[in-house]
Amino acid sequence: MVGKMKAVVGVLKDTFSFNDLPLSERIAFAAFLVFVFFFPWIVHTSYPRVVMIRFLLFAMYGLGWNLIGGYGGQVDLGQAKNVGFGAFATALMITWWGVPFWITVPVGITVAVVESFAVAYPMFRLRGHYFAIATLCVALVWQKLFLFWDWTGGARGVELPIKSAPNFTYMQFGTIGYHYFIFALFMAEFLFMNWFRKSKMSYELQAVRDNEDAAASLGINVTWTKVKTYLITAAMGAVGGSFYAVYHLYIDPRCVMQLDLSILIAMTAMVGGAGSIWGPILGAAILIPLDMYLGALLGGMGFYGIDFIIYALIIMVIAAREPRGIWGIIERARRRGYVLRG
Amino acid sequence: MALAAEITASGILMGSIFALVALGLTLIFGVMNVVNFAHGEFLMIGMYSAFLISTFLSIEPLVSLPFVAVVGFLLGIITYYLLIRYLLRGPMIAQLFGTFGLMLFLRYLVMFILGPNPRVLHQGVLIGKSVSLSWFTFDISKLAAAGFSILLFVLVSWMIERTKLGRALRATSIDAEAAGYMGIDTEKMNALAWGIGGATAGIAGGLLANFYYITPTVGMLFIMIAFATVALGGFGSIRGAFIAGLIVGLIMMVAGYYLSQIKLAFVYLAYFLVVVLRPRGLFGW
Amino acid sequence: MFLEVKNLYKEFGGVVANAGVSFGLEKGEIVGLIGPNGAGKTTLFNCIAGYYKPTSGKVFFKDKDITGWPAHRTARSGIGRTFQIIRMMERLTVEENVMVGAFCRINDRERARRDAQEILELVNLEEQANAHPTELPIATQKRIELARALAIEPELLTLDEIAAGLNPLETIQIIDTLRRIHKEKNLTLLLTEHVMQFIMRISERIIVMAAGRKIAEGSPQEVARKEAVIKAYLGEKYAKGK
Repeated sequence: MVGKMKAVVGVLKDTFSFNDLPLSERIAFAAFLVFVFFFPWIVHTSYPRVVMIRFLLFAMYGLGWNLIGGYGGQVDLGQAKNVGFGAFATALMITWWGVPFWITVPVGITVAVVESFAVAYPMFRLRGHYFAIATLCVALVWQKLFLFWDWTGGARGVELPIKSAPNFTYMQFGTIGYHYFIFALFMAEFLFMNWFRKSKMSYELQAVRDNEDAAASLGINVTWTKVKTYLITAAMGAVGGSFYAVYHLYIDPRCVMQLDLSILIAMTAMVGGAGSIWGPILGAAILIPLDMYLGALLGGMGFYGIDFIIYALIIMVIAAREPRGIWGIIERARRRGYVLRG
Repeated sequence: MALAAEITASGILMGSIFALVALGLTLIFGVMNVVNFAHGEFLMIGMYSAFLISTFLSIEPLVSLPFVAVVGFLLGIITYYLLIRYLLRGPMIAQLFGTFGLMLFLRYLVMFILGPNPRVLHQGVLIGKSVSLSWFTFDISKLAAAGFSILLFVLVSWMIERTKLGRALRATSIDAEAAGYMGIDTEKMNALAWGIGGATAGIAGGLLANFYYITPTVGMLFIMIAFATVALGGFGSIRGAFIAGLIVGLIMMVAGYYLSQIKLAFVYLAYFLVVVLRPRGLFGW
Repeated sequence: MFLEVKNLYKEFGGVVANAGVSFGLEKGEIVGLIGPNGAGKTTLFNCIAGYYKPTSGKVFFKDKDITGWPAHRTARSGIGRTFQIIRMMERLTVEENVMVGAFCRINDRERARRDAQEILELVNLEEQANAHPTELPIATQKRIELARALAIEPELLTLDEIAAGLNPLETIQIIDTLRRIHKEKNLTLLLTEHVMQFIMRISERIIVMAAGRKIAEGSPQEVARKEAVIKAYLGEKYAKGK
């Protein structure tokens, strides 16, 4: 009994404690949280608020992907399918039966986890490119099926019934409401990741990423470790999808199960720095505003697709020069700083 | 019976083009273990080159093919020297994202310059013509494309099996370090693989342009098919790519006849099953 | 018998790497496994530790049949190993590398960390705890492999060419360390090695393999005199010329 209490306290401590991080990181993160918290009160125009919501959503997607892709080193290019499962579970259950949002979320998670479990074992017989392309294929098969089927709304998509007043059952609000809603979800996933990165599983997962044979020699079940991680990533993607459904109030397989979404999710973590807790946040902070301001600005001037050209250049430069992303650059600079001082 | 024959025949025709698209992909993978996500974009650029050259210079699309091949070759070489060289030093994940970035870059660059609207070639000896056999009719353009595909496979196979250059290429693919010690300029061999890969993709594009809509996003479709093809044939295997191309063509045509909206899903499913059940492909070892 | 290998065969697509190898270890022994290149030593190690499934034959560990068990299961049952080619978790620090081993039997992070620190002291690596392994010299990385394998608290430790690539001084140091660990942790050691001096000095008993078979077994002195061993190492001529 006492032992159990102690374990719970330990988990809580790991979840909420940032003591192992350098002071500078803690201060920067605190400032970031304060900024995001008061953002709707600082900025009164609607577009920046929409950008902020999208940023938080993608930071959240990135946090989930970072588990399998960053800590696990398995390039998953199919996360959109899990977003889709979450989004469709929520959208369809609300439209068909008026089920409250909070009941649809676990259903979405269950669907994503069960499907991921079904494909995980054959998939993790593959490595490297083979695995990456397989994840891409599986996600595309689901997208084609969801487009083809009638019960999913097919290509027409699903429109959620709009409620007249702000509503906690169906989670419909104005922009400020959504801001705090996604901020809360983001924080939940972030705190989970803060616990995770210090957990035994995180060490085992990183061992698997760096060297599977060595990991196995230390008693780690390599396949099971990857599968577990893949399932958690799937669950996190589904939560984001559920949010997407009640936020946009319209979904179709082209917006929530699209390959581009899978790519953007993976890129968020990669550009920021895969395998670091800050990576996805940094990545989303760069890619999302870039997309929404530059893309909108240049798109408005008739330069269609230039945001993607810039994206693409960033990806190529990062892949060629610093595969560990922006966080990798920061860490390297910091280490060099130590060397200079030493 | 007639229907089955028609489906089979058009499957084989389409399949030989898929094979040609897969040829460059498998060659590059064989030499340096890099999967080129931008390969479909090489093809797309081949299509546009054929379109632009034949439209603006008013020449026959078939005559533009050598130029298209040169464009593809240069594109491959430039890609190697500007990007791949650096990616090879990094981890696998960097290679994946690097070529992925290139894919997006080329696609949206073309879209930016030429706009998103589909183009079609109207003038040309092959276009809109067909031959009729007793049961069914072939598009001449598809027939010609299949012919060129076989020709290119023979040519590339010959080059790799019989010529000195091919031997150097194979040596690099087996053990780049050892090949380096033997005095082979492996850097040049890698670039050459990219050049040939680009050229074959370009030609495939030039042929496709005769009977397929030309859009900046066409690459995605073909790259996915090419992945399935290459996996089926065994990554790195040239002969495998050809046979696998035909198989994928048949799957597409048969599935397309019954369930045309989700015929692609069958191709993806085929990839998945193949890599899981036979990770080395049907013809890999 | 502590570890017993019975008539073990391993083929790779027609190439026979182990052709009916049998031997046993008693608890607490230090046994060296020697043989020329391609004798099948590493294959044998991989069959014992679960990296390969033997084509036929059996492996018993503490009287349990562990034939064909996956690597993580043999590790959990008490067989630790190091690799011929060093395998570091390069993005983790030295301490974290060892912690991963400790997690094999400990769930609590801080206890795992304390354990790792103790083991690092045991192999004289406490100063490198926060470095990244790939920044360190080969000899140090070999010690990290050793520390990591020790962290799972194995009863049997199999060391695949732990002295390869070390200079004479480093070799002597690692012999010292191994002897100390052997005594303190009550371990059974199975080693392969090319460096004859090393294996002759540390082993109590030696098994000689050639072309996938066991060709001799005995104390280091006995083995060194056997004609079959000299033949395997130096060829027919030398054996007869003697």
